[in-house]
Amino acid sequence: MAIIRRIKERLKKIALKKSMRRSKDTRLAKKPSAEEAKKEILGVQETQIEKAKFSHPEVAVSCMRRGMPKELPSHYDQDKIVLQVRDPWWIHAYWEIRYSTIERLRSEFKDEFDRARRLLRVYDVTDIIFDGNNARSFFDIQVNDFTNNWYIDTGGPGRSWCIDLGLLLPSEKFITIVRSNIVRTPLAGPSWITDEEWMIPEDMFARLYGMGFGLGRSSPVGKAWQERIKHLLSSGVSSPGVTSVTSPAKRAFQEKKFWLVVDCELIVYGATEPDAKVTVQGKPIALRQDGTFTLRFALPNGKQVIPVKAVSSDGEDERTITPIVTRETR
Amino acid sequence: MHKGYLCLILHGHLPFVRHPEHEDFLEEDWLYEAITETYVPLISVFDKLIQDNVDFRLTMTLSPTLISMLTDPLLQERYLKHINRLIELAHKEIERTSWQPNFQGLAVMYLNEFSKARETFERYNRNLVLAFKKFQDLGKLEIITCGATHGYFPLMDVCKESVRAQVKVAASHYEKTFARKPKGIWLPECGYYPGQDEILKDAGIRYFISDSHGVLHGTPRPKYGVFAPVYCRGTGVACFARDLESSKQVWSSIEGYPGDYNYREFYRDIGFDLEYDYIKPYIHPDGVRINTGIKYYRITGSDNHKETYVPAWAKEKAAEHAGNFIFNRQRQVEYLYDFMQKKPLLVSPYDAELFGHWWYEGPMWLDFLLRKIAFDQDQIRLVTPSEYLMENPRNQVIIPSLSSWGWKGYNEMWLQGSNDWVYRHLHAASGRMTDLAKIFPHADGLLRRALNQALRELLLAQSSDWAFIMGTGTHTSYAIRRTKDHLLRFDRLCEEIKTNSIDGDWLADIEYKDNIFPDIDYRVHQ
Repeated sequence: MAIIRRIKERLKKIALKKSMRRSKDTRLAKKPSAEEAKKEILGVQETQIEKAKFSHPEVAVSCMRRGMPKELPSHYDQDKIVLQVRDPWWIHAYWEIRYSTIERLRSEFKDEFDRARRLLRVYDVTDIIFDGNNARSFFDIQVNDFTNNWYIDTGGPGRSWCIDLGLLLPSEKFITIVRSNIVRTPLAGPSWITDEEWMIPEDMFARLYGMGFGLGRSSPVGKAWQERIKHLLSSGVSSPGVTSVTSPAKRAFQEKKFWLVVDCELIVYGATEPDAKVTVQGKPIALRQDGTFTLRFALPNGKQVIPVKAVSSDGEDERTITPIVTRETR
Repeated sequence: MHKGYLCLILHGHLPFVRHPEHEDFLEEDWLYEAITETYVPLISVFDKLIQDNVDFRLTMTLSPTLISMLTDPLLQERYLKHINRLIELAHKEIERTSWQPNFQGLAVMYLNEFSKARETFERYNRNLVLAFKKFQDLGKLEIITCGATHGYFPLMDVCKESVRAQVKVAASHYEKTFARKPKGIWLPECGYYPGQDEILKDAGIRYFISDSHGVLHGTPRPKYGVFAPVYCRGTGVACFARDLESSKQVWSSIEGYPGDYNYREFYRDIGFDLEYDYIKPYIHPDGVRINTGIKYYRITGSDNHKETYVPAWAKEKAAEHAGNFIFNRQRQVEYLYDFMQKKPLLVSPYDAELFGHWWYEGPMWLDFLLRKIAFDQDQIRLVTPSEYLMENPRNQVIIPSLSSWGWKGYNEMWLQGSNDWVYRHLHAASGRMTDLAKIFPHADGLLRRALNQALRELLLAQSSDWAFIMGTGTHTSYAIRRTKDHLLRFDRLCEEIKTNSIDGDWLADIEYKDNIFPDIDYRVHQ
């Protein structure tokens, strides 16, 4: 039972709260309105059902490994930084710098190196061919020497990003140690670009959009949602956002109350000649090779009359013993 | 005259779990449960429909790892042992509940089900894939493929060679299994990143499925929303987007069918409920309680109080819900038809495991649904994506958005505190695999075997299921162990290959254990 509760509690945690270890996620701090609270997080229920595929507890397995290391290497002896997209607003970077590279920089910059700060310089390179100097804008994040990955809030969907891991010297000069790949975050709402050949009026698109998310006429919040999208589309606001589709579900989770379950079973056992025929409550039962038998029953409230009759193999003799058992529960 | 199309898709996938080195391995149960509770019931439904001459169209994914397990003789043997044990347990349950007639009736029901599962399993020669192949060959089912080991592509776009390998290995495995090329693919977790369709096109795949916002947030705006597929700019690969309205009725924890109080409660299994000494032989040998599949209670309400399951009530509900589903689809289609001036397409994908395993009455609901669609109405026509494209070849061209059907709709489920550490290792390994494929264009003998095995280990490490399990936070040690084991084996193979010191015995050992994709060719990883 404890396992079931643990699974449900974990689910609750995933659905209601997700805290980033290193960065603040301001989006999640937004409190959902009553209207929004009725919508479900995209994918929560799918996640729960997919999880049920793997519903088994942990068992310690002793695996024999001949001479194989058990842990992965901590680095791959490369200078590199890799960017990945997490969602329309957040990207993730992981990196590695060779010890020899650090040493080279240390000897090159000598005592400036010790006073330098290690930085992630995050460039907005949307729609340009980045040459290192022509970014639209950038912002810096300071990281310490032991960090090897970071989640970055880019502040807006649908843009391209590139990151330099580098040193900011005391003289304010920035030295790039290694440059990342370029990633593009997706839009968080419908595109502003329309296709001449496949045009439809904005309010029609708003309705189709809402319906696609299951917020059509049959949904209680559908109409309000459609109004909102219509308004956003026609008012020229960039990236209307689907943040409200990702609000927490108002699901009636089971309350965490103290609980106790008790049930009773009855074991009826006996022995006779191994070749005798035995019936219990009129039904024949099988004997073990040594003539013994054991029966196990769930014992509900009430009276159970249990005639046990044994007949010898030649049919000449018979014996009956009838235990009578009563259960009540207070 | 029908006013719209409905495309029902069942996504069947399990990660590759096979441990010949252990007598009994807990996680192998995932497969056995799925066979008993999902795949056999679905096969029974389809068999009966064919027998009754009911026409239907469904699309189904059978992932390469699932197919590999269903066709593996060791796992087939173990399944028989498993189902025999369950039959034995059902017999005991019938005895034990002699004084509880409503429980006993259910125990008899389970005995019948388990016996049927064994019978169906044997009838198809222990290879259930043959059943699905039969349905495809009869034209009722369109089977699509999936990533070779269900790798999550959007987090592999920095090493596209791996995406290519995942797709190519899947496509050739499919061809070998079904004697035809796959027309469509279920992207793992519907994870799409723009540009990925090039790799699909190369492999001859004509369509994939994405979540709603993949198309709704595409550029330019899709004229028909999710109610018609779109072609990807540059490649012409079609993208079918999920209709959340119809999906929600089945998935939703708030409004969906599976939560109905008359349906069977998933979490009340005798593996957990019954007295320890009695149930011990049927749970894990270490004494850890697990699901057996025998459950006696219905959902009853939103709190912990549960009453006994009444099959007749549940069946009635399933019929009612099937009728309700069609009714809503008819309204939806009518409205859209007037609105769009074109027959809308509703794409409703579900995890196959939803039917039977999670939602016990699911297969029954599906049966009612397919029959009602065939006989009780004429507004909606069931269709497969290929059929739809044949009848409606002209569609808008857009660039779909990066998206997934996972939690929050993007990559976060697989990229968060508990699992983000895997990627530096997976990407590094991918880079090395590409290098090896380039350095040894024509390997032979032992070297070739080692290179092929290296690709197998890499693919197995890339299974998104591991990151998923780590992300859910429950029972993570198995997933972590698998990730590390496969990466470490890959590392060692790389070293041995580079230094020309391949340990033949060790190689044979891991070839035996990680024996997936026997015909793999390491050169696809480029």
